[in-house]
Amino acid sequence: MATDPQAAAGQRTVEALAAKLRRRQVVGSRESALETALVLRQVVSKARFQNINQLVEIIRSVGRKLIEAQPKEHTVGNTVRRLLHHVREEYDNASKGEATTSANEFSIANFVLQGQPRRQVAEKEAESTLVLKEDDSDDPDSFSRTLKPVVMEAIQDILDDLETVYDNIAKSARDHIHSDEIILTVGRSKTVETYLKSAAHYHKFTIIVAESGPSYGGHDMARSLSSAGISTFLVPDSSIYALMSRVSKVILGAHAILTNGGMFAITGTLLAATAARAHSTPIMVCAGQFKLTPLWNLYHEYGALDFADPSGVLGFEEGDLVDKVDVVNPYYDFVRPDLVDVYVTNEYASGIIPPPSMYRLIKESYDDEDNEL
Amino acid sequence: MPSKSSANKGSVDDETDQLLQAVILADSFNKRFKPLTTDRPKCLLPICNAPLLDWTLEGLALAGVQEVFVICRSHAEQVKATIQHSRWSHPSSGLKIVPVMTAKETFSPGDAMRDIYTHGIITSDFVLVSGDLVSNIRIDEVVRAHKERRKTNKDAIMTMVVKESPKGDSAITSECLHYEPVTGYPPKRIAKIPRGVLENHPNVEIRNDLIDCSIDVCAVEVPSLFQDNFDYGDIRRDFVHGVLTSDLLMKNIYCHIVKEGYASRVQDTRSYDAISKDILSRWTFPLVPDDNYPGEHAYDHLRGNRYVPKDNSVILSRTCKIGNNTLIGPSTRIHDEAQVIVSTIGARCSIGAGTALRNAYIFDDVTIGPSCVLESCIVGAGVQIGEGSRIDRGSLIGDGVKLGPGTVLKSFERVSKQRQKSNSMTIDESLEDENGDEVDADDSELEEAEQNQSTLSQGLGPDSEAFVWPRRSGQKCDEDVYENEVESFNNRRLMRLGDDFADLIPADHGSITSEDEDDKGLGDEDEGDEDDDSFSQNASVSASAAAAGAVSAGEREFQTEVGDTLDRAFLEGHSLENASVELKTLRMASNVPLRRVREAVVARIVEKIPLVEGAAPQRVEIKKWVDRWGDLINLIGSVDGVETVSILQYHCAASTRFHLFGQILAALYQNDIVEEDDIRNWHALPEAKGEDVRNSDLLGNLQKIWIVGARMIHEFNEQESDDDDSDEDVQSSEDGDGRATAA
Repeated sequence: MATDPQAAAGQRTVEALAAKLRRRQVVGSRESALETALVLRQVVSKARFQNINQLVEIIRSVGRKLIEAQPKEHTVGNTVRRLLHHVREEYDNASKGEATTSANEFSIANFVLQGQPRRQVAEKEAESTLVLKEDDSDDPDSFSRTLKPVVMEAIQDILDDLETVYDNIAKSARDHIHSDEIILTVGRSKTVETYLKSAAHYHKFTIIVAESGPSYGGHDMARSLSSAGISTFLVPDSSIYALMSRVSKVILGAHAILTNGGMFAITGTLLAATAARAHSTPIMVCAGQFKLTPLWNLYHEYGALDFADPSGVLGFEEGDLVDKVDVVNPYYDFVRPDLVDVYVTNEYASGIIPPPSMYRLIKESYDDEDNEL
Repeated sequence: MPSKSSANKGSVDDETDQLLQAVILADSFNKRFKPLTTDRPKCLLPICNAPLLDWTLEGLALAGVQEVFVICRSHAEQVKATIQHSRWSHPSSGLKIVPVMTAKETFSPGDAMRDIYTHGIITSDFVLVSGDLVSNIRIDEVVRAHKERRKTNKDAIMTMVVKESPKGDSAITSECLHYEPVTGYPPKRIAKIPRGVLENHPNVEIRNDLIDCSIDVCAVEVPSLFQDNFDYGDIRRDFVHGVLTSDLLMKNIYCHIVKEGYASRVQDTRSYDAISKDILSRWTFPLVPDDNYPGEHAYDHLRGNRYVPKDNSVILSRTCKIGNNTLIGPSTRIHDEAQVIVSTIGARCSIGAGTALRNAYIFDDVTIGPSCVLESCIVGAGVQIGEGSRIDRGSLIGDGVKLGPGTVLKSFERVSKQRQKSNSMTIDESLEDENGDEVDADDSELEEAEQNQSTLSQGLGPDSEAFVWPRRSGQKCDEDVYENEVESFNNRRLMRLGDDFADLIPADHGSITSEDEDDKGLGDEDEGDEDDDSFSQNASVSASAAAAGAVSAGEREFQTEVGDTLDRAFLEGHSLENASVELKTLRMASNVPLRRVREAVVARIVEKIPLVEGAAPQRVEIKKWVDRWGDLINLIGSVDGVETVSILQYHCAASTRFHLFGQILAALYQNDIVEEDDIRNWHALPEAKGEDVRNSDLLGNLQKIWIVGARMIHEFNEQESDDDDSDEDVQSSEDGDGRATAA
């Protein structure tokens, strides 16, 4: 199969994305997820497989390569896991048909182990027309012929999901933000930006944007918000604590949300979250479902914070000083679960999940066997 | 969705249309790393456990380069094999690497460029870097800017990438050495800039805070320029300098100042040290060991910039101390109580109990016994160091050396594997070493060293298999001719690992001067030089007053030659181009400043104008001559109207055709050889009023001419006010000129 020219072409796109991820030419959680989904689509459309295990292995190997190239973009792995989940779901639906719809026993054990069976039941009704012939020696392509369109559809679903994620999250904005609130946010997050802008259609409120050095994404954020007609203040990170007593709500973006309910987010988030905790200000985190990561102990790894080059903090222009100090410039902060009050995602209609329930949502979204690709 | 994928393909196709090529000069053309470079080329020396060449290639891949030519000379086979076995040769790497072997006679980057030209491999504008570059600068942006510039100006042949450095860098920081200290010692205090540069460019910015990244984006014709100018050796000192000071080539070199990013070259042991530290403290991000690492192994980044391999193969004793900014290679073992501070250790090494490493660079497979102290040194692959040894700062230990217990190496000692001569008893494979660079130069040094080996090697412990090289001294320098200034002993000290230059404090390094032609902020026409004597001579000669004072014999000969040439040209009716080419070659041959040529041309033209009675016929005669030959004044070199007028003034003042000045000037003005502004500027010059002139006759004439000029300017002023009032046409204003001058 490796000699197959089509598969080789697929491999090339994988390698190309791996190189881009490694070289930081593709950065940002949504960007990485989108690119990954596009690569997966190309690989699957060209792949040849005769049974479900081969298909799963093809997808997993792509995932392994991409994750190895850039372990810090968690959305890459998440997208792969999500697809695997969909593939298995479709396969189960098609192969087992309606006969096994007996998973409706609600026991605590089932609930924890398998997540919520709600959606699986609903979809099984629709997809029972497929007839799958695995490992058919007469017609080796029959399996892929039948399953491939379904898988492609699943990938398209993921892509559509990524396209509309901001708007879906923003649906609940109207209910969470009230008039005359003072809201603090840190840096630039497209999710938060859309969220706030959509809330601005209904209410008048004030936003304080911390500029979040050394990347200073807050500058763009403040510009964008104020051009949308929202009253906006841009403040240095150092004044977050001082202003916190005035703030009625903190809304933050995330880079990745872990199973324990903690999250990685742009530097400065931990500062804001701790300050908010000290003032008992509620903290909301807006993040798309694709940021849910079935890992939980990453914060033990020092390197997980993704240390960038020190020039943003202390440039060469400081001259003599550069030699004498060790400068660390972490790109992300890890925010502990107890600092976050609620996550807003595009998963449910209401979209609200408290950190302690995050594991359930993650269990539902991915299959356990894919946690390690 | 097919639309997206086809769009992707389309963009790929576009890129292949204009393949971005790069040339890596993989040879250093010096031997600052000796004896480490006896058995392998410098570009394969590991820095942070990955070969230098890989860092360079990764930097180029980052910039979107698709085809790379690696020019290798010494140990070319090794380079070739390494490239073949590296992941770069994998088809999916997106890089096509072609090793090009050059002849043994290639001794400078210039030779290599000539070689590139003869190979004819360059098909478009290319990126030129050396094989020891560590960079994360987005070169593709520079390439784009370069191509943009090329569209409007075909003569912009090269763009040099420079980076802003800390201001006022008189102190030696590690960054300071990233650019080439052309004459680090003795310190250079005066940089001379030719006057022409200042005259042609109203805005000049002089900067000494730029770091030369040694990344050049070159036009296709650059190798051919090297071919034409066979004496160009170094790219900066010879090529850039040559192109900029020559007014025959008429080429421009631009500078691209990058504000962020990292780039620097491992030129010497000192920069090796600095760059290693920069990589470990993540200045080169994302080119760091735990991220986009060009080597084979993956590393984990731990607190305090400590890097250990991901595969958990390192064995660290519980009592060992690992300090900040440390990289430890796979399968390395560090024993009890050992200290490793700001060091890199290669793969499969063993560091003995109680040994202290400070600022040490240990390559692969090194065994260091217990209780050793190593400080600021580079230890080659496979070295064994016995118990209780002491290696002082600045020492270099070549591959495969074995040092017995209790060895003491003093500062800046260089040790290599024992090397038998072919006439000695044992026949050693070290004959192979003869392939090393500059063998000839080494031989005398080595023979001398062999004679003194007993005294030199007294620091070595028993059972040592090593050969101590003689220490360099200020008197004995084994330099190649073209390198003498850069490679002088004191200058080399600035490039040496661990040297603190207590006794020589360089006040100011060589600096880069860049001038801004327009206010766009793009530095252009960089003067990457400050140390050339002929250059400064030129400047000072042309700056001296142009009065016909004492002229040297050579110049007098030149004057007559020019006279003859012009006479012939006038007589035989040569075309202006031919005449100007002849003059240029003449000027090159006798090495005289441009002003002399101009003087000669102006003088000849003035003298050739026939004298006739009456103002009107005279004006016709003048017009005839100026129409035919006037442009020659500007064709011989740069255009400088003020100088032309000034020369004309002095010539007329000293000649019998004194009264023609006004008319000639008017004719020149009408032919656009001089502009109105030139005349105004000339008029404002002190020398135009005859200041500093002692000869009273000459002074009188000069002043009379000056008054003629004053009248002319008066006319200009009137014209301007006329223009404001009514739309008088050009013809009448020209008549005005004629009237003024005829009067």
